[in-house]
Amino acid sequence: MPKTQSADKAQRAGEGKIATLLMAPTVIVMTVVGLYPLLHSLYLSLTNYNPTYGDAKEFIGLANYVYAFEDGQFWHSILITLIFTAASVSISLVLAVLLSLLFNLRFPGFMILRTVILIPMLITPVAVGITWRIMMMPDLGVLNYLMGLIGIPPALWAGSSSTALLSVILVDVWQWTPFMFLIIYAGISSLPKTPFEAAAIDGASPWRMFVSLTLPMLKPVIVIATLLRIVDAFRTYDTIYTITRGGPDFATDVVSVYLQRVNFRFFDLGYGSALSWLTLIIVLVVVLLFVRLTGFMKLVADKENR
Amino acid sequence: MSKPKTLRPVLQGLGAYALAILATLFFAFPVFWMASSSLKSELDISQYPPVFTSFEPSLVNYAELFTQLDALDAFINSAVIVAMATSLAMICGTMAAYALARFDMKGKEVMAFEVLSIRMLPPIVSVIPMFIIARTLGIFDTYWLLAAAYGLAGLPFVVWVMRVFIQDIPQSIEEAAMIDGCSRFETFWRVTLPLLLPGLAATMVIVFMFSWNEFLLASMLTSQEAKTLPVIAANAIKPKSIAWGLASAAGVMMSLPVVVLVLLMQRYLVRGLTLGAVKG
Repeated sequence: MPKTQSADKAQRAGEGKIATLLMAPTVIVMTVVGLYPLLHSLYLSLTNYNPTYGDAKEFIGLANYVYAFEDGQFWHSILITLIFTAASVSISLVLAVLLSLLFNLRFPGFMILRTVILIPMLITPVAVGITWRIMMMPDLGVLNYLMGLIGIPPALWAGSSSTALLSVILVDVWQWTPFMFLIIYAGISSLPKTPFEAAAIDGASPWRMFVSLTLPMLKPVIVIATLLRIVDAFRTYDTIYTITRGGPDFATDVVSVYLQRVNFRFFDLGYGSALSWLTLIIVLVVVLLFVRLTGFMKLVADKENR
Repeated sequence: MSKPKTLRPVLQGLGAYALAILATLFFAFPVFWMASSSLKSELDISQYPPVFTSFEPSLVNYAELFTQLDALDAFINSAVIVAMATSLAMICGTMAAYALARFDMKGKEVMAFEVLSIRMLPPIVSVIPMFIIARTLGIFDTYWLLAAAYGLAGLPFVVWVMRVFIQDIPQSIEEAAMIDGCSRFETFWRVTLPLLLPGLAATMVIVFMFSWNEFLLASMLTSQEAKTLPVIAANAIKPKSIAWGLASAAGVMMSLPVVVLVLLMQRYLVRGLTLGAVKG
């Protein structure tokens, strides 16, 4: 961005201090409540702090990190989290695009249906977990009953290690597809009409129009929605904790659930801090990769300079 | 986007309606199931085949929420904590957003980075230091701790989104007021703020939603006194016996305020949720 003063920022003489004053509370809160705990946790990660053995802690250098690299359970949880995130986000994305195309037909009554579809993203995640756990009960659950009506054999859902991960992915897709749908629908409805009319006159098929017009024009919106979803899916805790607590057989042991166990069951806070920092770095790498691959920063910059 | 006219518009229309209704059923059914389970007696809830509508609705579960789970205390806790966090984030955040939008400032990139990184930070990472600091300061299991944590989580979001909303208001309107003799503050109060209200409300609803629904920090940073609604709802799930009706009733009670508020604010929601990047 050019460094000259833009028209939207006319500043009057003697107002330099006002800006600083206005910023001060935010900067103070972010430093005291945000930055300081983070640095504190970095320090803890270099100690063997465990309050069950008293408050004494020893500085042990990088030992926690070395140990973490050999901690199969941790890497297992990272892998589960990556699978969970990739599956949930991509399924939601596809569903959301399809729903947006469908609802963009704007038939009478679609607006009410669209509003109803938004509700899942507003339900408290703990409540979502509770509800799906009730519905997925293998013996009394309504899902197995409904599947029986159309001739599908009953499933164990979250009760079996082979289907548990799929079950929690289903729940996540159910809760967060509405979020992506809301955003992508907004994107689709603000697309200009002329290119589509021109393509229709040229005899382009609907599929062709979708691939060569809709998708490219929607890219910024899709990228933003996906990025936000990746970040949130990576830290999913509430629903999985209420449905499976990471089980059975650690099949749904995502990293948040594993860290909760290390920290608050075993109170291994030094080691837990080290794992937290590793997790943070992994999230950063995933996000940076995504940002690189999609040119996200360029999209943002284009928006700023529009 | 307009669809080309085809020879079979009626059939296609019917197909579209069928798909739309099917999709809506998929997303609505669990919500219906939660609401109906909350109104079922213990007997009705464990029936097989499950009963869909033919049961005697009762408010027993809602009554038990208050007698068995101390829902009233939790509701008050939630309300106080969320109100504190939301006001903290909204007041500080809007001030900072105004500075960023209207004054030339250094460090804008740093700000952007902070916003995104706090948005990315898995809460499980900050929970240990918060736990330790809270114990040292003696504020573990109090309103202050969760209010500060949620305020922090909401703050960068507010700064970012409000900056976009403020930029949408033309500077020239403010200048006109200032030429007429208003001070900067008067201008903000009388001219900018009224125009900002819809954006403010939408941002506030989103911050409210995140804090109200938050469970991870709440479950780890409270034990007795400051328990919030999601924590007591999760307590209804015990390893051996699960009080399904009770848990569903807690779910409905938690979710209802958010659903109502957000559906009222739909118009500006997209703008807020995408950090201002997508216009709704």
